[in-house]
Amino acid sequence: MAQNSAPDSTPVINTRAGDKSAGSPKISKDDEFEVTSPTNLTFRQSNSGAVPPRTALFGGSAFTEGGSQTGGSLFSRSPFQDPEGEDEQEGELAPLPGRSAEQGFPTNYALGRRTSVSAESLNPTEAGSDSWSPPHHPKTEEQVSRLKSAVSSNFLFSHLDDDQSLTVLNALVEKPIPAKDIKVISQGDAGDYFYIVEKGNFDVYIHPSGAVQPGPDGLGNKVASIGPGGSFGELALMYNAPRAATVISTEPKSTLWALDRITFRRILMDSAFQRRRMYEAFLEEVPLLSPLKPYERSKIADALDTIKYTANSTIIHEGDPGDAFYLLESGEAEATKNGVSGPVKNYRRGDYFGELALLDDKPRQASITTKTDVKVARLGRDGFKRLLGPVEGMMRGAEYELDPKRSPVSKAA
Amino acid sequence: MRHSGRCPSPLNPDLPFQLSFPHPTQPQWPQSLSNLLSMPSLGGLLKKRRTKDSQDLGKPDSQNHDGSGASMQPASHASPQHSGTGTHENAASIDNIIHQEQAKQERVTKGKYSQEDFELQRTLGTGSFGRVHLVQSNHNHRFYAMKVLKKAQVVKMKQIEHTNDERRMLNRVRHPFLVTLWGTWQDSRNLYMVMDFVEGGELFSLLRKSQRFPNPVAKFYAAEVTLALEYLHAHQIIYRDLKPENLLLDRHGHLKITDFGFAKDVPDITWTLCGTPDYLAPEVVSSKGYNKSVDWWSLGILIFEMLCGFTPFWDSGSPVKIYENILRGKVKYPPYLHTDAVDLLSQLITSDLTKRLGNLHGGPSDVKNHAWFAEVTWDRLARKDIDAPYIPPIRGGQGDASQYDKYPEETEHYGQEGEDAYGHLFPDF
Repeated sequence: MAQNSAPDSTPVINTRAGDKSAGSPKISKDDEFEVTSPTNLTFRQSNSGAVPPRTALFGGSAFTEGGSQTGGSLFSRSPFQDPEGEDEQEGELAPLPGRSAEQGFPTNYALGRRTSVSAESLNPTEAGSDSWSPPHHPKTEEQVSRLKSAVSSNFLFSHLDDDQSLTVLNALVEKPIPAKDIKVISQGDAGDYFYIVEKGNFDVYIHPSGAVQPGPDGLGNKVASIGPGGSFGELALMYNAPRAATVISTEPKSTLWALDRITFRRILMDSAFQRRRMYEAFLEEVPLLSPLKPYERSKIADALDTIKYTANSTIIHEGDPGDAFYLLESGEAEATKNGVSGPVKNYRRGDYFGELALLDDKPRQASITTKTDVKVARLGRDGFKRLLGPVEGMMRGAEYELDPKRSPVSKAA
Repeated sequence: MRHSGRCPSPLNPDLPFQLSFPHPTQPQWPQSLSNLLSMPSLGGLLKKRRTKDSQDLGKPDSQNHDGSGASMQPASHASPQHSGTGTHENAASIDNIIHQEQAKQERVTKGKYSQEDFELQRTLGTGSFGRVHLVQSNHNHRFYAMKVLKKAQVVKMKQIEHTNDERRMLNRVRHPFLVTLWGTWQDSRNLYMVMDFVEGGELFSLLRKSQRFPNPVAKFYAAEVTLALEYLHAHQIIYRDLKPENLLLDRHGHLKITDFGFAKDVPDITWTLCGTPDYLAPEVVSSKGYNKSVDWWSLGILIFEMLCGFTPFWDSGSPVKIYENILRGKVKYPPYLHTDAVDLLSQLITSDLTKRLGNLHGGPSDVKNHAWFAEVTWDRLARKDIDAPYIPPIRGGQGDASQYDKYPEETEHYGQEGEDAYGHLFPDF
């Protein structure tokens, strides 16, 4: 039978390393051992009067000038306490100002426990992105542009690229609401769909209890109404959370567009995954990066920024100090050099340029100009070095031709 | 499958170096091991291990890769290999012991106990799929925490994979700042996981009570979390749900991370949106695919919350507003924050993955070497060789759950037999 812990008056037995006098074996401080073993000679009692002698583990602390025992701070001591601190009794950390607006504390801050949220596990490699293609519900161009503007300010859509955005909009399915007073979503229910209003008006009700209740007032208070171009239920595209409100039709005939979470997330994941695979494949082709380990390439892929250029823009200026490396994701570009007529090189999807800028900031030896609309993935030298460390070490002695005559914008071979 | 009373335990009161917390189904004062330990060579073996352990502690990428160091390793002597085979009562050959030492790397925790092994006590916490109870072992009378997950609810919430991962990841880790899984089983309705009962309650409760933590206090907890994250990431495990609610305080005030509901083996990239709204990294919110560095972002949020009492992107409106704030990425640092803290936070709470500490070339060392942590002696911290700033007032001895909030109890009778529609989905339990 386990022993109870000793009363509070038991002096603390110091178990700190370096204190050989305790007579306890200097085994590693196993918590299981410490916490639960009643036979442990080094057992330290909680919160008793004496403070164990300390070695200078930490420097002095700004918080040793304690307040009174009743000053409101729960902290008996600072782990960073000055070893010479005079507080033989429990040194107290200075009480802090409370939750006031002057202290920047948000009003109405929710102080309760926060629930974890989760979408369904999705895994592109297992599911095989080839085996799934997103639903396609044809829409007129006019409808698409209307839907596009309906979601343009929504954080879930605003960062999508054009392809993703189009795929998502195409996946929206029309949902006729044939009568008045139909609850499209009910507060408290599980949410799986996001809706955009095509036609009609909808009222939004919130019941203070967090869920719709039976009875005439069961909907709660009307808080808003949503007309054409409006949308609701976007949280359902992230994870399965209870609906925060009830939305109800107010006209005999209305139309909604609906999108479910799994479709939305699959579209985003598959496109991100494909892009990711593309990046990794591109990066493998860069001789300068060939000494990198797969996880290092993966880190670079994580950190690439996509940038779009219109036709006839200049990505790199000859003579500028090099600061970034580019992968060409789509479109075409060409390299030109002062004093040379015509392009010295053409670039297409999968080509890269500017990689020598990852090594140093030598001037660019050519200009790169877009021939069409172009999408590139960019990685700056500074970020590259932060991720992978000093270039010299990273290259691990691998041979990489640093022939000054070779164009820094050329693709190897 | 029961193991009660069969297995010798290293818990001998004469021994100066008890190495482990007994297995919940182990009787507490067995006789048999003393014979074994009188063998000089075995004594030597144990001693050697002990030294190694103290070196290995807190070094996640040491050779001791599976956390097989005895001090961090509840399974060392009380391991199911020992308990299950029960061999060294009779056949006390050193080879046998060594063999078992190796075998324990694949610690068996599946189907280990049943409801009859434990006396159910009060609820320590509730969640979306079930609850956590304080339980007492009927064998050694020690206290444990038993997490009960309703299978139907797990299935309904589509968390089968996460739940199986939770079990798998917990079974793999062994670290002073991570909660230990002792064993699991299932009945027709529920999954059961028996873990350490960590007496000091949630850091969440302490934080809300304190409103906010003084700089050194926040630093202490942040440092322990940093070591735990370093360990997890070295084992390619992403945690994904850092928050004060999931940090428990042990009797001495040291942290233990609990709830591995979203922990997963992630060598490079993963996709599922999960976590807690306030703590989600922007790349999670925007569904881009993300890596372990989301845990470093969350560490930033955690430090911010400990120092300020609120999270930086919180909004009273709705989660949607929080996500918009996260994507906007603007953090307002209150003037009372130490400049070193602000510097660290701005390098953790950044959407730029080429700037987020923990994700860079130096890995977790970049975090540990940051000026805000300058006073922290990391190796001592890893040994819990630094006094915690707060000792939970546990007066009732073992099984004192006074540090936990009270929850309404449920009367469901565990251990029911009957149709089990979902059992096959949880083959590891």
